[in-house]
Amino acid sequence: MAGIDLTVEVCGMSGDGTIAAGGILNEAMSRQGYSALAFDSYPAEIRGFGRCVTRSRFGDRPKLALTDRTNALISLDDEQSRSRIPFLAEDAVVLFDDKPPSYVEENKSIAAHVEPTMTLYGAPFADLAAKAAGSARGRNLTALGVFAAVFGASPDVFREVITGKFAPKGEKVLRANLKSFDAGYEYALETFSKRLLNTAPPLRRTDGSRKVLTSGNTAIAEGALAAGVKLYFGYPITPATPIMEYLAKKLPERGGRVTQMEDEISSIGAVLGAFFAGTRAMTATSGPGFALMTELITHGVMSETPAVIIDAQRAGPSTGLPTKTEQSDLQAAVFGGPGDSPRIVIAPTDVAECFHYTAKAFQLAEKYQTPVIVLTDFFLDNRVENIEPPALEPEDARDGNIYPDASAKGAYRRYELTDSGISPRAVPGMEGFMFAATGLEHVERGTPDYTPANHMAMSQKRYRKIRSALADLPAPEEYAETGPLDVGVISWGSTFGAALEAVQDAQARGIRVGALKITSIYPYHEDVIRTFMRRCRKILIPELNFEGQLSGLIGHLDGTEIVRLTMATGVPMAPSVILKKIFEIVGEKAA
Amino acid sequence: MSGEHYLIIGNGPAGREAAITLREKAPQSRVTVISKENVRCYQPHLLPQFIAGQVSEEELFTLPFSFFKERDIKLRLGQCVVDVDFHKSQVTMAHKEIIPYTGLIIAVGGTPRIPERCHRYRDRMLTLKTLTDARMWAEKLQKVSSALIVGGDLTSFALTRTLLAMGKRVSFLLNEESLWPVRCDDQVFREARVKLEQGGVEALRGTIQDIVRRSETSLEVTVDNKTFETGIVGAFYGLRPDVGFLAGSGLTIERGILVDEYLKTEVDNVYAAGDCAQVYHPGLKDYWVSIGYGNAENLGRIAASNLMGEKTPVETPQESILCAEGVRVNTSWWLEF
Amino acid sequence: MKTPARELAAKVKSIHDSHIFSVRSDELPTWCPGCGYFGIHFGINNAIQRLELPHHEVMIVSGIGCAGRYPFFSGTYGLHTVHGRSLPVATGVKLANPGLTVLAVGGDGDGLGIGGGHLPHAARRDININYILFDNSIYGLTKGQPSPSSPIGMKTKASPLGTIDKPLNGSLMALSYGATFVARLFAGDPESIADALMEGINHPGFAFFHIYSTCVTFDKQFKTWDNLKSRTHPLPESHDPQDYKQAINEVLADDYSMGVLYHAKPVAQ
Repeated sequence: MAGIDLTVEVCGMSGDGTIAAGGILNEAMSRQGYSALAFDSYPAEIRGFGRCVTRSRFGDRPKLALTDRTNALISLDDEQSRSRIPFLAEDAVVLFDDKPPSYVEENKSIAAHVEPTMTLYGAPFADLAAKAAGSARGRNLTALGVFAAVFGASPDVFREVITGKFAPKGEKVLRANLKSFDAGYEYALETFSKRLLNTAPPLRRTDGSRKVLTSGNTAIAEGALAAGVKLYFGYPITPATPIMEYLAKKLPERGGRVTQMEDEISSIGAVLGAFFAGTRAMTATSGPGFALMTELITHGVMSETPAVIIDAQRAGPSTGLPTKTEQSDLQAAVFGGPGDSPRIVIAPTDVAECFHYTAKAFQLAEKYQTPVIVLTDFFLDNRVENIEPPALEPEDARDGNIYPDASAKGAYRRYELTDSGISPRAVPGMEGFMFAATGLEHVERGTPDYTPANHMAMSQKRYRKIRSALADLPAPEEYAETGPLDVGVISWGSTFGAALEAVQDAQARGIRVGALKITSIYPYHEDVIRTFMRRCRKILIPELNFEGQLSGLIGHLDGTEIVRLTMATGVPMAPSVILKKIFEIVGEKAA
Repeated sequence: MSGEHYLIIGNGPAGREAAITLREKAPQSRVTVISKENVRCYQPHLLPQFIAGQVSEEELFTLPFSFFKERDIKLRLGQCVVDVDFHKSQVTMAHKEIIPYTGLIIAVGGTPRIPERCHRYRDRMLTLKTLTDARMWAEKLQKVSSALIVGGDLTSFALTRTLLAMGKRVSFLLNEESLWPVRCDDQVFREARVKLEQGGVEALRGTIQDIVRRSETSLEVTVDNKTFETGIVGAFYGLRPDVGFLAGSGLTIERGILVDEYLKTEVDNVYAAGDCAQVYHPGLKDYWVSIGYGNAENLGRIAASNLMGEKTPVETPQESILCAEGVRVNTSWWLEF
Repeated sequence: MKTPARELAAKVKSIHDSHIFSVRSDELPTWCPGCGYFGIHFGINNAIQRLELPHHEVMIVSGIGCAGRYPFFSGTYGLHTVHGRSLPVATGVKLANPGLTVLAVGGDGDGLGIGGGHLPHAARRDININYILFDNSIYGLTKGQPSPSSPIGMKTKASPLGTIDKPLNGSLMALSYGATFVARLFAGDPESIADALMEGINHPGFAFFHIYSTCVTFDKQFKTWDNLKSRTHPLPESHDPQDYKQAINEVLADDYSMGVLYHAKPVAQ
């Protein structure tokens, strides 16, 4: 039998405990040793009513994408869950409350909407919870109990997780919740044991592990902390706000500080000021805020001042779709702002990389004296994966600054033209190296200058410097056999996970296909990418934006035909979509 | 889409054909089929062959779901009707959903009947009606080499044939109760015995007093004080129409739902078809029961047509009436074996 | 042979050698002769020297404009940022290295126009940076457009019929935003500038210096040397800098009284 690969949704109305149930489910399945990747949807408005959906994928191998087909739906509110039916796999299982408090009209029950190929498991969630715990409030846990019984998951692990979550709320609350869970579990065991549970794949406890459910945002914040960030300046914006809030708690413990600024402009201004004065600082924003930052970012490029900026992309343009995901800031990150302003742009593809790349960004910023933009996206920021707690690579912890030699005192030239393009950087407080940095073009000493030859030489210096960062930037990673390939799939950000899954699927079917992961968006490793492209008959670049922004950046590198698979739907691209395109390109009928 | 909603309870051959016919005759209406069994249409008369491994599970199934989707026939599988309100023309589901209908066809079929006095040892007997039952037979038959069929209905004879083909040792117990609605008298029994022994089956007569489980693969059966060992016991006391949910609804029910020769119940927009119905025979002035796959299909079609306003009476095959010693046999299966 | 050029060079050299202006850099200011900013420059230099602040521990952050060029003329660390953003950048510098003395400088367009949104927050954060507003009520670097503090009726190329919008009052704004140190000064009185700067730099919170200046090239009507010299006068003796309401009333009543308008009592920690 194929490995475990189960996508579970809990759907309800706000107030039903949907998100809490999803969280407990994720934790319990993670502790049972399954890989977990979960991504919830909340109501867009704050008002407090609206559909909540948790979506989790569990497997015996780590998954880096969400499928577009759910295998099990736990309905806490049939009216809301109805909208999820089109996203269920043909043979999905639906768990629902089959004893609503009063009779319902036709079509108000989810039973009216499931396809005949799906299996319904009805259990009286609310009734069981009320009888066991005195109130129906714990019915979301009752539903989890039913799930555990139907799928053969370990009830003890669930109880462990429930205890961990509710013990701080007191003995009474904890007991009520455990009883609610048990009531569902026992009912299901008794009622459904007579049915052959062949619609649900049996789960077994695999080895427990040290893995921790971590979101992209948390990983970013932890990466910054590990790198020794001292100051955070930011402005609330979806989906970057949790980074600020996480650091607001943690930074003071380490002698640092979070300052919520009046806007994104002042946020990046303060980051540049802090780095100029020799202290690691960071800001995080999304597209609209990033747009506001571009002027100062190019100032950082011209004045060669380090900065670390997280752009947590969301659907645009403009205010766009604040709670939807997209990868459409690539062009803005690489080119945004006036003039020829090269800067470093890197993009993690999973939660662990969110940690490592954020940490790495500080050293890169210091060494190459440039703003470093870390591009993530809503899906990556808000999803949780269970991962081994990441640890800082030793080389990422070092101070990246290259300071001037004492011999330069009194005759210090801040923007000395060097072979590498990197000029040693003095920091305020260093005696004898005073200089003024500026956004105007300048000579080596730093004072403004407009002569033609100087502007050319300085432009070359800045480009040379950024290009030299290739040595320190993660090279593209290949997932392919040697030799010629029919299709090469190049992808970035959170879409890479889906691309890799599709490629592995296609490889298993004998198709000569390979994947290339790009994480250094700028500068990019031209030679490596070109070499890969030349091996392929065609190149497929899937990404979540309308025009194909990565395609636009690297498409020119070789004459190989590029097929752009672009989507501007606001939802993560599923592996099946990419797989279908691969089949199309190879000329095979999708299986 | 017009406002009419035609509801069919039961997804067996009768219900299926009724649905298809309704869709043809009322293209603008809604048609919904409700079945408590969570499986797509299959051919129950092939179950014995499935058990023998002659037919795969896939081959059992007839129409794919897409067939119904294309015809806009909604299938509600694994869902149970618990009550029908004929005044309001609505059914109530086990999960408390209320579904109104314009016209209703009840095609719930029957469930295997276990007589009252056998209830003591009923959990040591297997019936064969559904796919789930069949899977259980198939699993158990891998481990045993002999079987006792307590029988008399169509399925029991088909199964007996199957078991013989599988090389199992088969004993067949005929008794009065087994052959409902035929009253088993000596002549009937003699004829049946001859046929069975010709086929290599040990034919017995008597009453089961007890069945005791000795092991996973062995049962000890006591018939008329004589004890013998067998691997599996199949109970085929005929079908009891699965109309328990209609108790108290006001419909006249004997063993099954009483309908006229047009398959209409006493309620104008409610029809019944298949094994669950007892059909009035104007000639006999009595009710007869249809058994068998082909008949069920036929009745389903007729019920649907008549619900749509046609007036097609059920063909009552004269040749299916067997008169034996003045006893009338109201069934049409007899000649199938 | 002594030429006028050689004489001038000798004069400059002797001034240099006297170290009076050693806090200055080697860059000659780009301002027009007669610009009021020279007076401010004098005041800032004196304050730094008299406070004996090591030059490598002073940081000057500027915006865009004639005043924005200031860091180049100072022998301290400097950062000439983009238009209107000197305050947030200065905030970052100070929080990164509290040991630095941080001055933010800029003109009235930089500070009250595009940068106007940052002033309230710098004031309410009360971080120890010193903001010097070089107010000549005009956009000089872009050649003479009206600024947020230009008086009504100012005729420029961008307002040929005269401005019609009311001018902003920088001192009043700073006070109403809760700045804990507000001084209003005149570029023609560099000694007072130095005195006020010393007091403000020592003040452990946000210090705001509203300095009136001329723009001799583009404003020949309002903020001329003559007009400013005749109108400006010191604050009355009775003025109590710790009295907030008095400071507010003072700026509402009189646009030309100079001195430390407000110096908040330090709040007990």
